[in-house]
Amino acid sequence: MSPSSPSFAVEFDEINQEIVLRGTMRVRSPEEMTDATDLIRRSFGHGGHLVYVNIKRLTHLNMTAFRCIADVLTEACLADPQRRIVIVASSVIAWSAPLFETLASAQPNLSVEIYDSAFYPGQTFVEDESFIPILRTQTKMTWRHEREILPRHGMKEGMAIADICCGIGDFATLIKRQFNPTRLIALDHSKKSLEYARRVAAEFGLNSIEYTYGDASQMLLADNQFDFVTCRHSLQIFDRPDILLRELYRICKPGGRVYITNEKNSHCLGEPHSESIRWTYDEVAKLFSHFDMDVEMGPKSRRLLTDAGFDTIKVESFMVTNLDGDPRDFADVIEAWENVYAGQMAVRRGDSPDFIRRFRQGFKDHVLAALHPKGYAGWPIWAASGRKPF
Amino acid sequence: MIERQVSPEPGAFEQMASLTLDTALFRSEFHLCDRVSEYLADIVAQSHEDPARYANFSSQLINEMIEFSFRSAVPTGQIDFRLLKNEERVRVSIEFAPVSDHQPDWLANDTSAIANGHPAVGDLWGLADAIRVNLHTEEHKENHVTLMADFALLEAVR
Ligand SMILES: C[S@@+](CC[C@H](N)C(=O)[O-])C[C@H]1O[C@@H](n2cnc3c(N)ncnc32)[C@H](O)[C@@H]1O
Repeated sequence: MSPSSPSFAVEFDEINQEIVLRGTMRVRSPEEMTDATDLIRRSFGHGGHLVYVNIKRLTHLNMTAFRCIADVLTEACLADPQRRIVIVASSVIAWSAPLFETLASAQPNLSVEIYDSAFYPGQTFVEDESFIPILRTQTKMTWRHEREILPRHGMKEGMAIADICCGIGDFATLIKRQFNPTRLIALDHSKKSLEYARRVAAEFGLNSIEYTYGDASQMLLADNQFDFVTCRHSLQIFDRPDILLRELYRICKPGGRVYITNEKNSHCLGEPHSESIRWTYDEVAKLFSHFDMDVEMGPKSRRLLTDAGFDTIKVESFMVTNLDGDPRDFADVIEAWENVYAGQMAVRRGDSPDFIRRFRQGFKDHVLAALHPKGYAGWPIWAASGRKPF
Repeated sequence: MIERQVSPEPGAFEQMASLTLDTALFRSEFHLCDRVSEYLADIVAQSHEDPARYANFSSQLINEMIEFSFRSAVPTGQIDFRLLKNEERVRVSIEFAPVSDHQPDWLANDTSAIANGHPAVGDLWGLADAIRVNLHTEEHKENHVTLMADFALLEAVR
């Protein structure tokens, strides 16, 4: 099956001095590469002493196309021996670095780097292991709601399902048990999370979940494969959610649905101490936005899905609260948020100790609200889905 | 570099799948190269820990082999695509009749073919070397040749 329509693009980003190649380059003749190689040549003309060639999202490349690219790169190396050309490859695509290394061995001013970070600005926080306990408890809490919400959005038994940005895979195992899909693939770009996911699945004897290491913004999965595609709490961490949605749309079958969940962090609430809690979560939203992540995305779901071309859109919101099951679970989630948001992200932003102290207080008050016998603590989430038209 | 070994005795491999196409039909549509390689690569990767990723990896070479046969096959008769496996490997094999002037370069099996005016031959071997997949050829009666690549049956790509 063809992974995608045989299309590719070449762009030059002058600010980052980066030539970006992406898509499927399987051309029949070198003439089909002329526009691309002209653009590369022109970009070198405008470029400085250090130019990056980003091939992280170049998923397929035949040797006819490779030869054309190799020729322009070699030409650029020879034209200006002072110029450094760095080819930036992704480890998701296992053939690309070794193939481009063959050029680097012939040209001293050309090198290949494997670069798996900076897919999105907040990656270092989200791929950190300290996130694992957050994700596990969060999913445990949201599942109580989502097991009932999902059928309303069309999930049923016997479907082909993909969970994109699956994290530690616990949602996939829950789906497997509850909805018994015919195929279930779960993709993430964190190797640590996937290792964890595979281990848990093996322990539960769930060996039919296909965990795959990939980049959600350029997946190696074929077009039109899945009846139901989920992407939970993840669009909000990308600075370009539209790119991700385009990929979710692509792998979804016509008539199938894409289901997304997102938060609106500033609407987290609690009693008592509602003011302190509100202040802190307002600051959470600002903190994420500093790192180009939008944890206020929930209510924007309808617009995002519409703009991406979906129809029959459904949106609903739900509130995870301390009254759902064991309040200690919710308190654990809040404490984990405090650790990452106040303990790491605010520190990285360079916030003052006074700010961090006040910031932490709101989380502590939220924990208190969650555990207080007369308290109430809430975390609002938007679940939305759209159908890919026939 | 890859050792260009003599292929193990064929009896050790059992057939998994095969596809026979009329060469004229195959050569009429370049896009078939991509279609057939993705199809074969999906099967090659099916028992891997991460099938999507190994399919992408293996399809890179399989596609090149198929494009090579697309460009080299005489436009009559048939072309056979086969998948075989033993305990360790999945073998992709393509059997066809090449136009005669291509043949000597193939059997030389090396990148010096680029200098001999057949860059496609050099590219094919060069790619196999770069990504460390064992590629080899066999000659048969009636001018037929088989191009073969051996992929790991199980282990994940690095
Ligand atoms: C906030 S977590 C959500 C995880 C999971 N869906 C959940 O709800 O528990 C975001 C996930 O997106 C993953 N991710 C980030 N960038 C990615 C990319 N480019 N491709 C695939 N996954 C990515 C991260 O590794 C992380 O596991």
